[in-house]
Amino acid sequence: MIKSKHKGFAENLLFALNIFIIFFLLFGSAIVIPQWLQPVGRLHPLILHFPIVVLIMATVLEFFRFKERFRTEKLYHDFTTYLWLTGALFAAFTAIMGLFLSKEPGYEGSTLQWHKWLGVSVVFVSTIIYWCRTSGWYNVKTARWGAGLVALSLVVAGHFGADLTHGDNFVLAPVWHPEKNKVPIDKALVYQDVIQPILESKCTSCHNPDKTKGGLVLIDEKSILKGGKDGKLFVPGQPQISMLLQRIHLPEEDKKHMPPSGKTQLSPDELNLLYLWVKENADFKKKVIDLPAADSLRTIASTYLKPAEQEEEKYDFAAADDKLVKKLNNNYRAIYPIAKESPALGVNIYNKSTYQPKVLEELSVIKKQVVSLDLNKMPVKDSELKTIVQFENLRFLNLNFTDITGGTLKELAALKYLREISLAGAPIDPKTIKQVSALKSLKKIALWDTGLSEAEIQDLQKSNKKIEFIKSFKDDGKPIKLNEPQIKNTSFVFAQSIPLQIGHPIKGVELRYTTNGTDPDSVKSAIYKPGIIVTQNTNVKVKAYKAGWLGSDIVQFNVFKSTYTPDSISFIAPPNTKYSADGAKSLIDKDLGGNNFGNGKWIGSQKDLVIYMQFVKPVDLHTITINCMRNIGSQIFLPIGIEIWGGPDKDHLKLISKVIPATPKKDDPFTVMGIDCKLNANHLLSCLKIVAKPIQNLPPWDPVKKQPGWVFTDEIFLN
Amino acid sequence: MAMEKDILEHRLNINRRRFLSRLSLGLGSIALGSLLIPDLFSGSGSESEADFIPGIPNFAPKAKRVIYLFQDGAPSQLESFDYKPKLREMMGQDLPPSVRGNQILTGMTANQAHFPLVGSFYDFKQYGESKAWISDLFPHIGKIADDICIIRSMYTEAINHDPALTFFQTGAQQGNRPSMGSWVSYGLGSENKNLPAFTVLLSKGKGNGQGVYSKLWSNGFLDSIHQGVQFSSGENPVLYLNDQPGIDRRERRKMLDKLAELNDISYKEFGDPEITTKVQQYEMAYRMQSAVPEIMDVSKESDDIIKMYGPDCLVPGTYAANCLLARKLSENGVRFVQLYHQGWDQHNNLPQEMAGQAKDVDQASAALVTDLKQRGLLDETLVIWGGEFGRTNYSQGKLEKANYGRDHHPRCFSIWMAGGGIKPGIVYGESDEFGYNIVKDPVHVHDFHATILNQLGIDHKKLTFKSQGRRYRLTDVAGNVVKGIIA
Repeated sequence: MIKSKHKGFAENLLFALNIFIIFFLLFGSAIVIPQWLQPVGRLHPLILHFPIVVLIMATVLEFFRFKERFRTEKLYHDFTTYLWLTGALFAAFTAIMGLFLSKEPGYEGSTLQWHKWLGVSVVFVSTIIYWCRTSGWYNVKTARWGAGLVALSLVVAGHFGADLTHGDNFVLAPVWHPEKNKVPIDKALVYQDVIQPILESKCTSCHNPDKTKGGLVLIDEKSILKGGKDGKLFVPGQPQISMLLQRIHLPEEDKKHMPPSGKTQLSPDELNLLYLWVKENADFKKKVIDLPAADSLRTIASTYLKPAEQEEEKYDFAAADDKLVKKLNNNYRAIYPIAKESPALGVNIYNKSTYQPKVLEELSVIKKQVVSLDLNKMPVKDSELKTIVQFENLRFLNLNFTDITGGTLKELAALKYLREISLAGAPIDPKTIKQVSALKSLKKIALWDTGLSEAEIQDLQKSNKKIEFIKSFKDDGKPIKLNEPQIKNTSFVFAQSIPLQIGHPIKGVELRYTTNGTDPDSVKSAIYKPGIIVTQNTNVKVKAYKAGWLGSDIVQFNVFKSTYTPDSISFIAPPNTKYSADGAKSLIDKDLGGNNFGNGKWIGSQKDLVIYMQFVKPVDLHTITINCMRNIGSQIFLPIGIEIWGGPDKDHLKLISKVIPATPKKDDPFTVMGIDCKLNANHLLSCLKIVAKPIQNLPPWDPVKKQPGWVFTDEIFLN
Repeated sequence: MAMEKDILEHRLNINRRRFLSRLSLGLGSIALGSLLIPDLFSGSGSESEADFIPGIPNFAPKAKRVIYLFQDGAPSQLESFDYKPKLREMMGQDLPPSVRGNQILTGMTANQAHFPLVGSFYDFKQYGESKAWISDLFPHIGKIADDICIIRSMYTEAINHDPALTFFQTGAQQGNRPSMGSWVSYGLGSENKNLPAFTVLLSKGKGNGQGVYSKLWSNGFLDSIHQGVQFSSGENPVLYLNDQPGIDRRERRKMLDKLAELNDISYKEFGDPEITTKVQQYEMAYRMQSAVPEIMDVSKESDDIIKMYGPDCLVPGTYAANCLLARKLSENGVRFVQLYHQGWDQHNNLPQEMAGQAKDVDQASAALVTDLKQRGLLDETLVIWGGEFGRTNYSQGKLEKANYGRDHHPRCFSIWMAGGGIKPGIVYGESDEFGYNIVKDPVHVHDFHATILNQLGIDHKKLTFKSQGRRYRLTDVAGNVVKGIIA
């Protein structure tokens, strides 16, 4: 009889617990839970699962116990009895724990009350059922009603309990979104439509009248201003000393961090919004669009007000016939579905020269489906807006650089979904543009480069706050520097004369130039015109000027005269094979080598470079100019000596000139310069030998030592 | 005998009990499978082809077009958009080994005895409502700070220019995959049938440069109609587009018609789709003959526009001219305009070279964004600015006060995007105080690609093409849309 002994004990315990619960309910307000008992209360959310399972099983068995099949099954009845007993016991324990827990701060409100009373009623009803279920008057009806009542109370109490722990509507929240965030931006209030939803989604599950953690409630203006047990929530205008912001910015590990770790955290945008809201004095009344246009709070709030995952727009019209769309498509009229399985179509029109009003009129068969129409640069007239109005579902309309003057803009008011219009570059008449106010759904309009002035657009913006007006790019008014003139000459070496060919990409630019080495200025220097010819070696400097711009950098270049061209030229001592250009004839090809010695136009040698030239008809030479490079970083020096040998033929050459350029110095800059060799007397020469000597030993300051330097030349001018 | 046993075994296999036990096992595994792979029953696994119809977005796009301003050679993030005052404080001190950890360096600096930290030679300022830190080298981009989204937490896998560039352009480091522009052309088709859907513009700065090769805008295994078409400066922006002397438009038309007939015969015989592609290309080229000159003509651009982009925009072949051209192409319905500006590889002489490079691109890049905005086109055009990787926070070679270099650094660098449904005026991601590793919101190249496709209305997992027995994606088998930068 051990079993029944245990059973007796359990029954007594159940009775005692019921008494305790009644006692607690009656005198609960006077009871203080000692701290050591608190953990017991906190076990409530754990233990509660047992009575739920056991009692549900008991109710099911109870429901069917009077069935013919089970009436005589002993096991069935014994088992059901024990289930009721254990279930009621567990329920009682759970209820007591719950009552303990409810004494902790932060639990109050109607949800708690419902949960509490339903919870204890589960205990009472199941206890009563346990005691009465063997009585004579207990029949099928009472059994079924009782079981149903217990099951129902269990479920409802459980639901309220879940609301307490997880927040309101925890179960359905992922699938059921009440229509929120749908407030149009022009009606949205900063607090009501931005701040309050943030608090609702992240804070009020613990800070509501039912569950006032920290004594704080965050459901309305009054409760927010009241603050919690640690004081006021914020100091308007001073986020840096406001408790709300301190708490939400503490590291997540911190005990005081809010929302507590494990709960959904505030997003960066939400953190920002709360900060900015407090910074801007925590106003409860302001509209979002009353904030300045560039205000951070406004911009972030505007993006926040849009649904997070921008839902795809739903269209309530049917799709057009595929074949029809295909037929209407051509090379200059692109019609395309906005997205897969979307009935909406976009239309782009191209090619000014083939555009006619017909191009739009023909689309009447798909007028319902067109939501976006791009007429950029087409010669669309005001009167054609009538045709455009047929696209009743139009959202986006691009009329940039069309012939629209705005006279008939009001027509577009019939388009009740029209959101954006671009009119950039259209010759808009300022008088007509006020009609845009008639377009109720319009959000954005681009008015750059139209007939409207900055001030006119600003006025419009003031009277139409819900529309964003896109103005023009405004520079800071500082003049911009012109770019350099472009030298268009292809050769800079000439025999008799050369035209200077200079241009500039910007229209209306004045090109001033000098040929005397001075820098050109905007007043005195000559103005360049095509057809200017020079006949001498000249250093040309050009600079571009234009009103409203800063003058360009100076561009300079040299033209070289080379009267004579030898009939043959060859090397006696050849240059380095790597730098031999196109052979000796490169030296008289009238093509200068530029600044890069490795570009295949320069001839370079570390030994004496000896060049031999021949003229069929003897020439009267006065100057021989050897164009050389100096680039000390690459061990390229001017020749340390140049010898000119001349005579009637190869075997009778005499030294007729010798030039020794200055000794190189460490800081000599990079240069390309002609070294002139003047011939003392007039010589009629048929043969010419030129020797250019590189430096034999690099100067001591050169990092590369004990090597000859290089000599580089690209052209020789004979005059 | 053995066969009879097989038959018996088979019969046993299909008796009721076995059927039920297998069924339950099967149901169990399906249930498990659906838990592990949530998409299992949504049909995307086996029917991805049906999921994707070339030319139609998966969902309504925010951006219709892309302009990608590629800064080839990898501009330093530390002199542009990632402000690290700590590096100035610690100028010349060695990079603490704890920052670098076990990470491998490139061959160019791995043998350096020291890794002296070097702060930006240029100062930074905060711009706009977003208070984004931008270096003094980019004052114009500073002015559009509230229109752009700076990502300071990009990272890549490649450490050298060519693979890194190829990775950014094609989603793979080996150069045989279609370029991003080709994928977009394949995915969305052409808006304007008179222009290629994918065009390429090249320019070159004075800085140390790295080449760009046509493989970067190759169509890979996609139909060759999706190949990038290079527009060059000068009289013939598109090679071989002009009629030969002595041939007029009518002759050309007649020739094309005859050629099409021949090609048609050939197609009927061999069925090679490339033949139809070729006919389409001829036809498009014919129409381009009138469309291209109009686009290349900048003479009608107003003075304001020229001042905005800078006067160099009238000098063909410059970055500024290409930006202006990019706007014109995009405005005319070119889906993907790819610019490359070469010369950003500052292994040495960084302060001077980078100033030159920045001067080339700063004004025109900002102007492009503003210009699109004032035309009401920025919402539907995604502009991207950035290089293939970042640069080290320590000096390569000798560190002098006004002269230093920076080596390649793939672990963290900065790019920016504007328009096309990207959140304006935000700074996303963060690097550590040394600008060496990412500490918040890393964005991989695959994520970057996934996000761009997402803005264009394409699910990057659905944009596939089957080649040589497997389906390929731009994002390979990776990539997550960076939700934090989407407006």
